[in-house]
Amino acid sequence: MIPPTTARAPNGSPRDPRDALVVSERLRALHEEVLHAPRRLCAERARLVTRYFRAADAHPGKPMITKKGEALAYVLRNKRVAIHPRELLVGTFTSHRVGGGLFPELHGLMMLEDLGRFRTRSTNPIEVSREEARALRREVFPYWLTRFLVLRAMPFPQAVRFSLDQLAPTFYLINEGAGVSHFVPNYRALLERGTEAFRREAEARRAVAPPDSDTAAFWGAVEEVCRALEAFAAAYRGRALELAAVEPSPERRRELHEIAAVCERVPKHPAATFREGLQSILFAQIALNLESLDNSVSPGRLDQILWPLYRNDLATGRLDRARAFELLGCFAVKLSELVPVFSRRITRFHGGMFNGQVVVVGGTDERGDDATNELSHLFVALMDRLRTRQPNYHARLHEGSPPEFRAEVAEVLARGSASPALYNDEIVVPNLVARGIAPADARDYANVGCVEPVAAGKSFLSTDAALFNLPLCFELALNRGRRFGHWRRVGADTPPAERCASSDELFVLFLAQLRRAVTRLLREIRAIERANARFHPTPLTSMLVEGCLEAGRDATWGGARYNGSGIQGVGAGEVGDGFAAIEEVVFRRKAATLAEVVAACRRNFSGDDALRARLRNAPKYGNDDRAADGFVARVMEAFAQTLAGHTNARGGEYAAGFYSVTAHQAFGALVGALPSGRSKGRPFASGISPASGMDRKGPTAMLQSVASLPLRVAKNGANLNLMLPPWTLSGGEGPARLQALVAGGFRAGVMQLQVNVIDRDLLIEARDHPGRHPGLLVRVSGYSAYFDDLSPEMKQELIERTCAPLGT
Amino acid sequence: MRPPDSATIFDVQRFSLHDGPGIRTTVFFKGCPLRCAWCQNPESLGPHPEMAFFADRCRDTRACAAACPRDAVSARGDRIRRDRCDACGACEPACPHRALERVGREVPLDALLAEILRDRSFYESSGGGVTLSGGEPTFQMSAMGALAQRCRSEGVPVLLQTCGAFRFDAFAPHLRSFDRIFFDLKLMDPERHRRFTRADNPVILENARLLTASGAPVTFRMPIVPGITDDLDNLSAAAAFLREIGASSLHLLRYHRMGEAKLARLGYPLAPLAMGAGDVGRAVARAAALLAECGIEVAV
Repeated sequence: MIPPTTARAPNGSPRDPRDALVVSERLRALHEEVLHAPRRLCAERARLVTRYFRAADAHPGKPMITKKGEALAYVLRNKRVAIHPRELLVGTFTSHRVGGGLFPELHGLMMLEDLGRFRTRSTNPIEVSREEARALRREVFPYWLTRFLVLRAMPFPQAVRFSLDQLAPTFYLINEGAGVSHFVPNYRALLERGTEAFRREAEARRAVAPPDSDTAAFWGAVEEVCRALEAFAAAYRGRALELAAVEPSPERRRELHEIAAVCERVPKHPAATFREGLQSILFAQIALNLESLDNSVSPGRLDQILWPLYRNDLATGRLDRARAFELLGCFAVKLSELVPVFSRRITRFHGGMFNGQVVVVGGTDERGDDATNELSHLFVALMDRLRTRQPNYHARLHEGSPPEFRAEVAEVLARGSASPALYNDEIVVPNLVARGIAPADARDYANVGCVEPVAAGKSFLSTDAALFNLPLCFELALNRGRRFGHWRRVGADTPPAERCASSDELFVLFLAQLRRAVTRLLREIRAIERANARFHPTPLTSMLVEGCLEAGRDATWGGARYNGSGIQGVGAGEVGDGFAAIEEVVFRRKAATLAEVVAACRRNFSGDDALRARLRNAPKYGNDDRAADGFVARVMEAFAQTLAGHTNARGGEYAAGFYSVTAHQAFGALVGALPSGRSKGRPFASGISPASGMDRKGPTAMLQSVASLPLRVAKNGANLNLMLPPWTLSGGEGPARLQALVAGGFRAGVMQLQVNVIDRDLLIEARDHPGRHPGLLVRVSGYSAYFDDLSPEMKQELIERTCAPLGT
Repeated sequence: MRPPDSATIFDVQRFSLHDGPGIRTTVFFKGCPLRCAWCQNPESLGPHPEMAFFADRCRDTRACAAACPRDAVSARGDRIRRDRCDACGACEPACPHRALERVGREVPLDALLAEILRDRSFYESSGGGVTLSGGEPTFQMSAMGALAQRCRSEGVPVLLQTCGAFRFDAFAPHLRSFDRIFFDLKLMDPERHRRFTRADNPVILENARLLTASGAPVTFRMPIVPGITDDLDNLSAAAAFLREIGASSLHLLRYHRMGEAKLARLGYPLAPLAMGAGDVGRAVARAAALLAECGIEVAV
């Protein structure tokens, strides 16, 4: 659905008609096609890579970096070339209109597990042609079965154990086994220099390097991928000219000639126009997604990177706002043509068909001055009017963000666009500086994947290296290192929790479990990191990460200016709530003993309704209650400290993150009942959001709770969902109110925020299941009340009201 | 006399969006001199704490009965014997399901101020502040005044919602603490006012006059309760009165049935008024048109 195209200023009056940004017929059609195209598995990349490596086996002495460069080059030179009707920007990620590839040399075998059921599974079905499935089974699978990354990372028995564990992860999921990706390429340099300049630089450096050195091989690989990328563009130029020769419509013929002209120039040469800039980035984006895992290659601050080209085009009359808007739309549609091919198991952790291609707008320049520009506005309009699956849009806000930009962002969010996610520069930038990132680089940050802030174009921070299950460690602490109902000890052999005389003593047990699990995680992840360096170097990625080319070191070898790994603690709120409930019910009110609480958890509260209710009604994180919030803070600090001081194979630190993708659900399904009153198998809260419905004092109190957390330890980012019932944003003041809520929360110290406007369905669920959403605040009239506090009739009335037009 | 250091409060609601401009915290004072038939906050009426019982939360654990020192829980466990209950609150923590809540607590002004200040960043970003509501804040005049003054000196804008039934000379010293006063008019006819609110209106109308004359930032409001306040006589009398005292606008409040669920919880004698949401909407629209004809600016 494409919303109406008339722009309205926050005060409700139509904007200057010059500013009317319209979703053109072309854009609408392209968007619809991609929206409705079947999602298909594409075997092309896997087959080409496999074919290359089979042949390369004849040259055992060839360095892996050389092979990797040649493999990518082979893919780029042999990929199907397709230009779709009406397209202005060209290049396809896969051989299908909408699809995803496989990475058999990395995690691809795990995905092949689902080969027989991709089409029929109920969540995220993916079409697979019989021919492609057969090719994967016959050509691809047998070759990599004994060669994929994890198998090479560790001794055989350990690798098998690890692989099996990762098929059904309990303690953690190590994503880096699928390659690193997760970075913001230096597209600014790509547009300023072109691949030819990179190639020349690599050549010059190689000329003076020892011939058989790793550095020489690295520079050679860079040259190879540059040439292949140029050939890729040339193939598109050729295709455009072929199509033009048989195109009946003169208008489209002219467009195809334009496409050919653009592809002749970029990415080889510096981009001279806005359109060339976008096309150059698109080619590189495609190639990067073919080189390593097609996940979270994040274009970054496109409003900044494209700004000089845009301004120049506007000044010379080559471009107007409407055309720029259309081109940006074409770019967004292109990024939406890529989908991740994940097995059901992985989908549980990384659900939602999400490629993490982040585009960031707004924020400051390297000096700290506001850098919001007209392109930022164009992007915000695009988020609202062309609600594509990708990119993942973020907006940076800081003290000096222009009020009209804040207003515009609030306006689109109030309308339910759900994009952009919002970032508080005042917190994020100091966090990056504390990580050892130069202030100027920190101010030029962009986000990767979900929420992870990095110095754009200069970092190789493996931001989604692993997801860690914090509440499992809590369960083990309560049960002497065993999961409830299990006989086998999987954690540390800690003393019985029942003997603890305070929540502090219990926290010590939790720490012991946490340390043990983290130690194991780090041991395994380092093996994976070394394997990535040895078997999966990425020359193109490295070329686009500042530091690597100068040093002659691949990014996986630690060549980047900034190195590190991000490990996500999932379920910190759940653990904190558990401690808060124990503190209240056991140690303060003495309404139950710790032994009783543990026993109740062990039997999943069966027959313990009263105790469970007491635990659930105990103070919870998210209500601006320092005691409850303090426990969550302790859990976060403990996790970050446990990671601190360890160095990864690339020479960077392990940084804690507190976002959860969909792992809060997947991990939650594995963990037994916990003292927060959460029953067995229920999901945890997402990121650092309070447990669902447990923020009973409204959004301001919730934001104060979040702001009270030690967000400085969330160096790899955190996500917070702010669910707002539509009435809070209804009426003419709605956007202003949201703007004030965001500004107030950011001033208080909230780092990140994603706004959701709740609909009627939730009210119906809340009506049918009282107690499930106790914090659901509803507008009655003149004041608000909790939905659960209303009479059945009143609830019905409110549900019926949601049909009425907003603002009445 | 030393200003009091605490107030009897029955709720503090953060993120209030409809009690004045911006994002606000609303402090509900307990106790009210009026007994309006349509009262939406019946738990606010009595000056002292009382127990509310949420029948829908009760799981019949009988924990309340065991905890009650005065045997004020009836045999079926679903009702509080109001004649025995002194709202000591012993049953509240005893119930695991929160079916009993003590409505009204003595809160030190320091604590109240601290809670109000927590959302300061949101008041600043939204042009909001604190709203003193109730019940009737002026029913605890000196506590109200002290709180308002302290908020004010912290730079938090203060708004008062009042029914207007107070002694003007007691109120006058606090006048400057308020950035705005929402003053509710209800029924103009003294007889009907007494009948539906069990209080006299001359003092209310006199206060309205005095406040307006003093130049205080007053907004007059009137709840539209179909069949009670929305008749032609009442509305035209209100319009005439407003013009006479030099006020030109009236803010209409929709009656809603929120209070009715609370009646049962508190065992209050006020009878529910039977009417649908549609009636209220129509009544408000009609009243707005009528007042506009009388030359009054109307906001809904």
